[in-house]
Amino acid sequence: MTPLRGSLLDRRLLIIAGKGGVGKTTIACALGLVAAQAGKRTLLAEVDGAGRAAWLLGIEPAPVGEAKEARPSLSVMSVDGSASLAEYLEIIVPVKRVLQAVLSSRIYQYFVAAAPGLKELMTIGKIWYEAERSDDGRRRWDLVIFDAPATGHSLQYLRMPHAAHEAFGAGLVGRESQRIVDLLTDPRRTAISLVTTAEEMPVNETLEMHRQIRGDLHVPLGVLFVNRVHHCDFVASDVDGAAMRLEDLPDSLQRTIAEEAVSRGREEAGWSAINRTYLDQLRQQIDMPLVEIPFAFTEEFGTTQVQDIAATIAPVVTRPARRTHADVRS
Amino acid sequence: MSGLDDILRRHRVVICAGSGGVGKTTTAASLAVYAALSGRRTMVMTIDPAKRLADALGVQTLGGISSAVTVEEIPRGMLAAMMLDQKGAWDELVERHAPSAETRDRILKNRFYQHLSQSFAGSQEYMAIEQLAELHASGLYDLIVVDTPPTRHALDFLEAPQRIADFLDRRVVKWFVRPYFSAGWATMRLVNRTAGFLFRRLEDATGISALVEVSDFFNSMSGLFEEFEPRVRRVYELLRSPHTAFVLVATPEEQVLREAEYFCRKVRELDMSLRAVVFNRTHREMAAGRRRVDPEQVAAVVRRLVDSAPVARGLAENFQRYELLGRGDGLRIESFRRVLPKGVSVAEVPNFTADVHSVSDLRNMHPFLFAA
Repeated sequence: MTPLRGSLLDRRLLIIAGKGGVGKTTIACALGLVAAQAGKRTLLAEVDGAGRAAWLLGIEPAPVGEAKEARPSLSVMSVDGSASLAEYLEIIVPVKRVLQAVLSSRIYQYFVAAAPGLKELMTIGKIWYEAERSDDGRRRWDLVIFDAPATGHSLQYLRMPHAAHEAFGAGLVGRESQRIVDLLTDPRRTAISLVTTAEEMPVNETLEMHRQIRGDLHVPLGVLFVNRVHHCDFVASDVDGAAMRLEDLPDSLQRTIAEEAVSRGREEAGWSAINRTYLDQLRQQIDMPLVEIPFAFTEEFGTTQVQDIAATIAPVVTRPARRTHADVRS
Repeated sequence: MSGLDDILRRHRVVICAGSGGVGKTTTAASLAVYAALSGRRTMVMTIDPAKRLADALGVQTLGGISSAVTVEEIPRGMLAAMMLDQKGAWDELVERHAPSAETRDRILKNRFYQHLSQSFAGSQEYMAIEQLAELHASGLYDLIVVDTPPTRHALDFLEAPQRIADFLDRRVVKWFVRPYFSAGWATMRLVNRTAGFLFRRLEDATGISALVEVSDFFNSMSGLFEEFEPRVRRVYELLRSPHTAFVLVATPEEQVLREAEYFCRKVRELDMSLRAVVFNRTHREMAAGRRRVDPEQVAAVVRRLVDSAPVARGLAENFQRYELLGRGDGLRIESFRRVLPKGVSVAEVPNFTADVHSVSDLRNMHPFLFAA
């Protein structure tokens, strides 16, 4: 058993995973801000190339594969499997002319599009490379945050290095895959954090993902972020009480405001109750430290809101993690 | 501009598209229930409904067609539902089109195939469209409403058939069935040094240990490819047919709308017809234009409804918070509408508190979907 030292941010690689649309990129950005503030040279790597993280941090996305500074100590990079493969070939094919011939051949392009798992392997390989990268004997990044794609797909990413290792054993790629697997399963260097909202479908997916990570991926678990939690000081019966007295009001602007106040109160009380139910379920079934992130009532969601979330999660992610059996290497 | 009810009446296929997590499944189901209630024989093809919604629609098994849901409110025989099996999409394709049981088994056991079928994006989308084409041809339904697979980008659905067709491009495939492939990369290297080198690397990278497997795969599949191009062509014909309407489902969030805008452009480029946009989870601002609702007035009004001071304060504050959400949603929807082509109808559905589980939940959406 490896005793766990330090906080979540003391790892070298943090993976952020969860169902589509729950706010993974937002959480990844907030984590990046906290890490940078703590003085860590941080790289936030996102897949899919949409540049969401860059936009959220208020900068224009850089071309794929290039790190761009968003804050002092925080850079953002879009990672793409085909670009990473080209980069990888550049390292192993030293002759420019041959390399060009390879890259421009139709068969190559065909294979990159279709070869099973190749993109995933190359993407995760690129992440590994950045996490381990040294320039002039000095580590380039203290921390790499990997904003993974939606659930099903991110499991494929995490599975690929293991599959590749099995497939070639002692070959070059086999050895490199093993190194990636070592990084992914090392609790001192890596943790996977999950993001969800406290609603039926995302929670079911989170439970399933947690089960698979525990059961066969063995990537050490980090923190469970529950995003967009509604929490109000009144309950549905309070709102019902108010609704009964609507008729006392004259039929006028006052009445319209009152009706609207009741319907908004009902919506908020409803969501609060749903969120509470699923938070309970998550707490019972997942033994990870859980952070609730309040729903942001705002006209526009942007950098300010990401900073608020950073402030919310900072205490938990910088606090030395409690030890759970999930943290112990199996 | 015709409303959604008009669109349902005039088309035989309605496809609900949009990025993941915006409520496509619920929207598709709700549209289907409406059509069934108005007397059309309707089929809804859903992808990944919440379990209780699947139960409500009477679908129990993957790939199974529920024989006409019997729901109190819906006339017998009017609504059928079907849940697509996402996992075995390629297997199903092979099962269906393999010329013999022997070929089928050879393909299913091929390692290259196994890797491929698990990771090649677009196979689910393609299968959804192919099943749609089949149901459409059966003539059993007046209307088929399609829920599309949860992709990050709504466009994947439209591009899947073409991508598969490109992948199975016969000119490229021929390459792989040449004799030197069957002999592996050692022979290959003699033929072409660059390619030989490349293939060794690719073998290393992909785990397909011998080109023999790749070649064998293409050999076994070649029978299936013959019909592929015409099938893909037919699928696109259906998507472009005047009987087919696209309904874009979105939420009023910045990122979702950015993708939605792109989708609208692309649909037009592909000659398909976008007829409506449904915004789910919207909030409405009460204030009109620059006139904001006075917070003190809200507090005073709420105080008349509630005895407890903290509850009153909570409700008043909550009113203002939702006002903010409403203003933001309103502005974003407004600027999105400005770039929509004329004739595309827009519906706004509020953020329902409860998960949608039953046919009556689905009916609750109707006043918003089919408002004037």
